[in-house]
Amino acid sequence: MTTKRRRRPARFLGSYGDADVEADVLRTDAILDGLARREPVASGADAAIRLLGALVADVESQRLSSVSITPST
Amino acid sequence: MTTCTIVAGIMPNVTEGRVADAATGVRLATRSDESDLRELTSLAVQGDRRAIESLLGHLRPMVVRYCRARLGRVSGHYHIADDVAQEVCIAVLSALPRYRDMGRPFASFVFGIASHKVADALRSSVRSAVPTQDLPDGPDEGPGPEETVVRYIEAQHARDLLSRLPDNQRELLILRVVSGLSAEETGNVLGMSPGAVRVAQHRALARLRQLAELESIA
Repeated sequence: MTTKRRRRPARFLGSYGDADVEADVLRTDAILDGLARREPVASGADAAIRLLGALVADVESQRLSSVSITPST
Repeated sequence: MTTCTIVAGIMPNVTEGRVADAATGVRLATRSDESDLRELTSLAVQGDRRAIESLLGHLRPMVVRYCRARLGRVSGHYHIADDVAQEVCIAVLSALPRYRDMGRPFASFVFGIASHKVADALRSSVRSAVPTQDLPDGPDEGPGPEETVVRYIEAQHARDLLSRLPDNQRELLILRVVSGLSAEETGNVLGMSPGAVRVAQHRALARLRQLAELESIA
């Protein structure tokens, strides 16, 4: 007998019953958190992580404009 | 194993400095800073100049990163993206006296403006003259031409793939990864719970991975 799993509506997402999927979600969160904190992240063969890392590095590579944002009045 | 490394360092100056020095300054605010930020916003709305300066000092680096990630380089530079970021800051500054705290974080208001400004820039696709930098007095200690080109190509590839994601997934990944917001902060901006952000970013990354793999096969 096969068990049919119903797809969960998006509003209920966030607490998975499936431990493997939940672990994957947390692993992804840890990787993205590392990128967000500008920490070294091992991308391995994961092209998506490597490309996001390259985008972050590129965005960070050029100096910010020296134009002041301080209001003059 | 490949490693994406971004050098850690000191907190950046708001008006000038390499964003890569911002390991501790990437985030808008930690959870404990949220009430301080709300208070800062309240003071800024009342016209307190120091509060305005401090608030924009928090927000501006993230707005710059967001605009750079969305708009990319023109002739090898981020002038257009940086100009749009500046416009966002000016728009925020102009709108401050009319801002009313409706319970959502101020960052949500700011990134709403940023999203519209970026969309305007993409629509008009104005390619104005790009000012060149002054000739340096000393040797350039930045990455060499080969490294620069490789990084540029990969970053552009990332932008191309991100542009093929649904709008909500693209916004989420850019805010979370490039602007450097936490799952909680991203959720505040997008009106999602942190749990929903974590699930949605997992799906967005899987989709991005799939697109990258399809391209490498094609």
